[in-house]
This record gives sequence, structure tokens and C-alpha cells, in this order.
Amino acid sequence: MARRGDTRRLAFLLGPASLFLGVFFIGPLAVMVVYSFLEPGLYGGVEWNFYHWNYGRILGWADGEWEEFDAVYAQIFLRSARLALTNVAITLIICYPAAIWVSGLSARWRTMVVFLITLPFFVSLVVRLFAWVLILRPSGFLNSSLMGLGLISEPIDIIFTETAVLIGMAYILLPFMFLPLYASIEKLDRSLVEASSDLGASPLQTFFRVTLPLTLPGIAAGSVLVFIPSLGNFIVPDILGGAKVLMIGNLVEQQFLSARNWPFGSALSVMIMAVMFVLIVLYLRSMGRQEARQ
Amino acid sequence: MKRGWVKRLLSLHGVLFLVFVYAPIVMVVVLSFNSNPINMMIWSGFTFDWYWSILGYPTQLNEQTLYVESTDQLLGAVKNSLIVAVSTTTISTILGTMTALALYRYRFRAQRFYQGLLYMPMVMPDIVLGIALLVFFVGFGVALGVMSIIIGHCTFLISYVFVVVSARLAGMDDTLEQASADLGANEWVTFRRITLPQILPGVIGGALLAFIISMDDLVITYFIAGVDSTTLPVFIYGMLRRGVKPEINAIATLMLTLSFIIATLGLYLRRRH
Repeated sequence: MARRGDTRRLAFLLGPASLFLGVFFIGPLAVMVVYSFLEPGLYGGVEWNFYHWNYGRILGWADGEWEEFDAVYAQIFLRSARLALTNVAITLIICYPAAIWVSGLSARWRTMVVFLITLPFFVSLVVRLFAWVLILRPSGFLNSSLMGLGLISEPIDIIFTETAVLIGMAYILLPFMFLPLYASIEKLDRSLVEASSDLGASPLQTFFRVTLPLTLPGIAAGSVLVFIPSLGNFIVPDILGGAKVLMIGNLVEQQFLSARNWPFGSALSVMIMAVMFVLIVLYLRSMGRQEARQ
Repeated sequence: MKRGWVKRLLSLHGVLFLVFVYAPIVMVVVLSFNSNPINMMIWSGFTFDWYWSILGYPTQLNEQTLYVESTDQLLGAVKNSLIVAVSTTTISTILGTMTALALYRYRFRAQRFYQGLLYMPMVMPDIVLGIALLVFFVGFGVALGVMSIIIGHCTFLISYVFVVVSARLAGMDDTLEQASADLGANEWVTFRRITLPQILPGVIGGALLAFIISMDDLVITYFIAGVDSTTLPVFIYGMLRRGVKPEINAIATLMLTLSFIIATLGLYLRRRH
């Protein structure tokens, strides 16, 4: 299969993409990290001085002389993490039973339903969120139907709340949870489940002792894939959360497009990236252990 | 007895799941034909007027309500989106396929590093990549415009094409390629006559995926688009920020249709081979 040597052909195949990714992927990330340690200048510029207060403002070592420490940044970070975690839980609860259902269907239906579930992933984000604006706003579909049915007399406020943000995020990230879960449930050895129930375990016991532990890799993969884009999201809180539900992504966007403090925005962004790296490393390590055990 | 009950509950959940996924989309499509200009949620008759009005034609509804968005801007955004999508698809398909061939046909030391590097752009949060590119372009004096968007999209689309083509290559052996080489065909002939036809479904699948993601990308484009280089999703986002208008339903429906056609085409190709 592998042909050793032949560096010329390999260099030809790999060279262009390496150059491209080196310059336009690694390069920008490196520049962003550098920026996060520079002093913000007037009118959105930067001064070329080493300046760690960008991080101090967020994490708490700014002393007020150089830069004001404000707990609000850490609070926004924590809120984003909490919302992202909640979103992981929501998508997991919705997708797990759905994945079990799909894996029990006949082969033809299975392909069809998996296709149907992944299809909305290809629909523009802004279109999918627009649909939820129409549903959730005061004169929207939900309030109109509830009032039409006489269940409520006044429109309830859903849009511009955390609930709305969570609904929107769960909606756009469902496929990222569903697909890894489905892949691991599909691979599950059915005979183990049967053996468990033949030996007298109740369906609940079988689920918690056999099915759940064996599908942990899918749960881990889905959780990472949902958590990362939830954490840094700014479109969903912007459209469905308004000014009330500020997430870390909105803060970053503000630093770049209105406050014009690029170094501070870069520092926030570097922190999102750091969380992502930690999660990926933890994930890869646990997968490595899983493999070693088998 | 108990089993049947659990099964029925699961099926119910599954059906509700699909309803949750499709109801919002179906609603937008239905509303795009609703002629009520005041309250979208009250059906007052079927009309194509919103579609005519986004194309800039005067309609009854439009004259009444003055819901005119600048059609020139919209068409400009569509044009930019298409230019970007076609260019990025071409570049990322070529580079992604080459990388996949390199990683699946050769063995070398930095292989694992490359694999990691190629997965990175896909897991990197959009906002991080978006502002990194913004800082980079502005820092090096690159003008923000169609060109910067094309470069930005390629940084992550190469990875998507790579993954799709790799999946194709992983299930293929290289006996035919070796036979071709043994029979005296040169590299280029072997590639064109043997390798390419075999991996073609993967390459086309990767290209379709790249095209669709590029057409739909909002976050990264939002940061690196210049004033005159708005793409369609960024344009709709801007419209949405200024308020909900019935025309957005019609534009959204057209975008939905395009996405569905391309995605279905991709699936059809994958299943045929």
C-alpha cells in the first residue's frame, strides 16, 4: 500500500496545501495570539508593547492603574459555559432516544431518516434562526397559536431570553450530537443487550449497565462537538437573545466591530481557543485509554 | 408487553424529533406564499408577490406597504456569494484532494501531525477563525473583499474536502494503480485514467459540500467581508437585524431550495457508487 520514499511526488501533493494552511490558518491564529499581548492604542490601533493586562481584565489581576478589572467578563464567560453545557444536556436528551429509534428501523428507512436529520445542517444558519424568530417573537407562531387556542390571554416573552437562545442553539447543533451517537449505537453489539435481558435484567438495568457504557464514546464525541460551537456562538444570542443574553462571542464581536479594542478581543478569543484545545486533548486522551482497554 | 410500550414511546419521540427539525423550515416556506402584509401569522391568501418584490418588480403588496429592500444590493450579494462559492470550491477541491492522496497513498513521518492539522479548522470555533483572519488581513494590509473571503473559506473547506475524499480512498486498494504503473503508464496517465475515475464520486461529493458550506457561511464571512463584498447570508443577517419582513421568507425559501437540491444530489451520488 505505502510506497516509501518518492519525496518529490509527496512534496508536489502536499506542498500547496501546507503552504496555504501555514500562511492562512496557522499564520492568523499566531498573529491573534501576538495581538492579545499588545497594548490597545487609540482609535482601534495597537502599540507594540508587551501588555498582559488584556488577560488581567478578564481573569482578575488588573489593578486599576493600567486596566480596570471587571468581574463582568468572567461572569459572561461562565454564563457562556453554563449555556453551552445546558445545550449539551438538551441535545443529548433529545438525540439519544432518537438515535436508538433510528437504529431499530429497517435498513431502507434508516438511510432515509438519517438523511432527513442531517439535511437541515446544509440549510443556512441565518435561515434556520430566522424561522425561530418568527416562531418565538411576541406576534409569532407560538404566541398566536397559544392565544388562538385560548391557553394564554397575553403574549408570553420567550424571544430575548436564555430559553430562546437555548432553543436556537439546540436546533442548529442537533446533527452534531445525533450523528456520533447514532454511529456508536449502530455499532453496538445487539447480542450483549439480548444477553442482559435474557439473564433477567430489566430494560432500565440493561440500559444503564450495558447500552449506556458501550455508547460512551459517541456521547463524548457528540458533547465535544456541541460544546465547542455553543461556547463561542454569537449569532444565536445576537438574533434570539438580544442585548439581554450576552455571551462571550458577542463580547468578542463588540471588541472588534464597535469598541475597537482588538487586543482585548483577541485575548477573549484566545481564551475560547484554549478551552477548545483542553477539551480536544481530554477527548483524545480518553479515547486513547478506551482503545487501550479493548 | 413492556417492550412494545417502550418501542411505541421511542417511535413517538422519533416522529416528534423530525417534526421539531422540519416544522420551522416548512413554516418559512408556507409563509413565503402568504399575502398578508401586516400579520404573517394570519393567512390571507396565496401569492407569489414576495418573490416578485425581491426581484425588484412592483407588486400590489409592495406598493401598499413600502417594504422595499434594495434589490441591487441583494443581487450584488448573490453575485458575490456565487463568485466566492465557485472559487473556493475549485481551490479547496483541488488542494483537499491532493492532500488526501498524499496522506492515503504515502507513508511519511509527519503524517499524524498533518492529520491533526487538517481536522483543526473544522473544530475551531467560527468566531476564533473569523477574527484571527480579520486581524491577519488588516495587520498585513490585505484589503477586505471578495478575495479575503475566498481565502478565509478555503482555510476550512480544504479540510472538509479532505475528509470526504479520504473516506473514499480508505475503502479503495491501489492494485489497479500499481498495475498501471507496471504496464508502463506514467504518473499523470495513471492518475487520469485509474485514480481519478475511482475517487471521482468522493471528489464531487467533497466539492458539493464545499460549495454548500461556502454559500451558507455567515460567521467567518461576517468578519472578513468588506463594505462592497457582502454575501447573501451576511445580507440576510443584516436585514434580519433591522426587523422581520415578509420578503425574508421568500429569500429564505429560495436558499433552502438550493441547499436541499445540492445536498440531495450529493447523497444520490454517494449511494450510486
